[in-house]
Amino acid sequence: MGDYVWFHDVSWHATYAIYFFVVGILAGLSFLSYGSWLMPALRPLREKAAYGSLGLLAVGGLLLIADLSQPMRFLNILNPAYLHFTSPLAWGALNIVAFGICSILYILELKKGEDSARGKLLAMVTAILALGLPVYTGYDLSVHQSRPMWNTPIMPVLFVGLAIASGSAVGTLLAGGNQAAQKILREFMLWSTVAVGVMIVGILGTTNYGGSAEELTFMLLTTGTMGMIFVGLGIVAGTAAPAAMLFVAHLKEQTTGLAIAALLILIGSAALRYALLMGPQQLQTLY
Amino acid sequence: MSEELRVSPIETRGVAGKRRFAMVVDTRRCIGCMACQVACKAEYDTPLGVNRTWVPYKVSGKYPNVKKHFLPRLCNHCDDPPCVRNCPVEATFKVEDGGFVLQRYERCIGCRSCMAACPYNARFMLPSHRTYTPITNVVDKCTFCFHRVTQNLVPACVQTCIGRSRVFGDLNDPNSEVSYLVANNPTQVLRPEQGTKPHVFYIGADRSHTEFARDAYRRLDVMESERAAFNKHFKI
Repeated sequence: MGDYVWFHDVSWHATYAIYFFVVGILAGLSFLSYGSWLMPALRPLREKAAYGSLGLLAVGGLLLIADLSQPMRFLNILNPAYLHFTSPLAWGALNIVAFGICSILYILELKKGEDSARGKLLAMVTAILALGLPVYTGYDLSVHQSRPMWNTPIMPVLFVGLAIASGSAVGTLLAGGNQAAQKILREFMLWSTVAVGVMIVGILGTTNYGGSAEELTFMLLTTGTMGMIFVGLGIVAGTAAPAAMLFVAHLKEQTTGLAIAALLILIGSAALRYALLMGPQQLQTLY
Repeated sequence: MSEELRVSPIETRGVAGKRRFAMVVDTRRCIGCMACQVACKAEYDTPLGVNRTWVPYKVSGKYPNVKKHFLPRLCNHCDDPPCVRNCPVEATFKVEDGGFVLQRYERCIGCRSCMAACPYNARFMLPSHRTYTPITNVVDKCTFCFHRVTQNLVPACVQTCIGRSRVFGDLNDPNSEVSYLVANNPTQVLRPEQGTKPHVFYIGADRSHTEFARDAYRRLDVMESERAAFNKHFKI
C-alpha cells in the first residue's frame, strides 16, 4: 500500500446507501402494518403503513435499476436461465418481486375495508417477505470476504435492527397525536435503536482488532469526514441521543419529543448505512 | 486434511485432461518498463483511466540506499473466484478447461457486485463512450488473453515482457515452465488469507506488498509509513 496507490473507484456509490435506507423503512412499515392485526393500538397505521411501504418499494426499485450501469438489463436478474443462486442479489431480486406482488394483493384486500382473515394472512406473508429485504441487503455486504467490517454474519441482523428502528420512526411520524400507537412505537424505537447501538459498538470493536485492513477501516470510519458521518451523525446524534431521549420519562407522553427522537433515528440510520457502505470500500481503492 | 490437499469441486488442480493456466511473475526480473501495460492496452483498446493489468511500485529505503519494488497486477483467475460466486446473472463465469475467469458482456447488468467481491481490484467498469467498440457500461477484466491462448499464443503482456518477468503456461502440465518455476522457487500470491487460490504467482515479492491484512508480520516502520500514506490520501 502507500506508494502502491493506483486509480481504483469504489464499486457501490451513495445510491445504494439510499436504497438500503428506503428498503429498511419499507420493511419496518410492513412489520407495523402486520403488527396492527395483533395490536389494536396500531390499527390507525395499518393502511398508511401498507401504502407507504408499496410507495417506497417503487422508489427503491427505481433506485436499484437506475444504479445499474445497464439499467435496461434489469430483467436479466429475473431471467430463470440467468439466475445464479450463490449471489444474494439474485435472492434479493426474487424477494423484491414477491414482496411487491404480495403488497399489492394486501392493499387490494385492505381496500375492501373489512378485517378479513385473508387480509391478516396477506399482512403476515408481506411482513415475512419484508423481513427478507433487510436480511438480503445485509448478506449482500457480508458475503464479501475481503472487505473488513462487511464480512460479519451480524450484518443482516444489524440491517433488520435498522429497519425496525427507521420503520418505527416513520410510523411515529405517521401516527401524529395517537398516544396509544406512540406508546408502542416508542418501545419499538427504543429497543431497536439500543440493539443497533450494541451491534455497531460490537462491530467497531472487532474491526479495530484485525489486520492492517481492519485497522485502516476503523481509522477511516472514525476520523475525518467519514468519522463525522459515522460517529457524529450515525452513533452520537442518530443512536445514542434518541435512545437517551426515549429513556427520559417525561418524554413518554410528549408527541414533539417522540417526533424529534424519530427524526434523529432516521438521520442516524441513513448515516450509518452510508458509512457502512462507503467506509470499507474506500480502503480497497488504495490496494 | 491439510489446506494444501483440500480441493473444492470447481478446482482443476491435478485433474487429468484439464488444463490449469497460470502466470508466474518474477519480480526480480521486472524493470518497471510498463510494456505489459501498453501491450494490454493495445490488444484490447482499454480506455484511459482503467487497466486490465497495471504495474504499481513502492520505493523502500532512504537515500542513497533506495530500491523500487514493482508488483505487476492483473486478474488472478482464482480457483475459487468470489466474483463468479457473487454475479447474480452468471455474467462472470469460470472456464473449466483452463481455469479462465471470463465475462459475458451481453449479459452483464453492471451491478458491480463482482467489483466489490474481488480482493484484488482487478475489475473495472468500462466507460460509456469508446472509440472502436460498442462494449460499454459493463464490467471488464483481464481474460488471460483467452483468444490468444486458444490459438496457442501467450498473453500479450507475456509476449512483450522485455525482461521475461512474466511466464505463462499450464500448471497441470509437469513439463511447462510455470510448473517448473512454481515447483522450484518460493512463490507468493496476493492476499492468500482470502482463500481464493490465485493463479498468478509471484517470485521475489515482499510479503508486506502482497498481503493486506497481516500487520502482525510487518515491521513497525512499514506500518507507520502506511499510516502516513493513509493520512496523506485522506487528508485527516
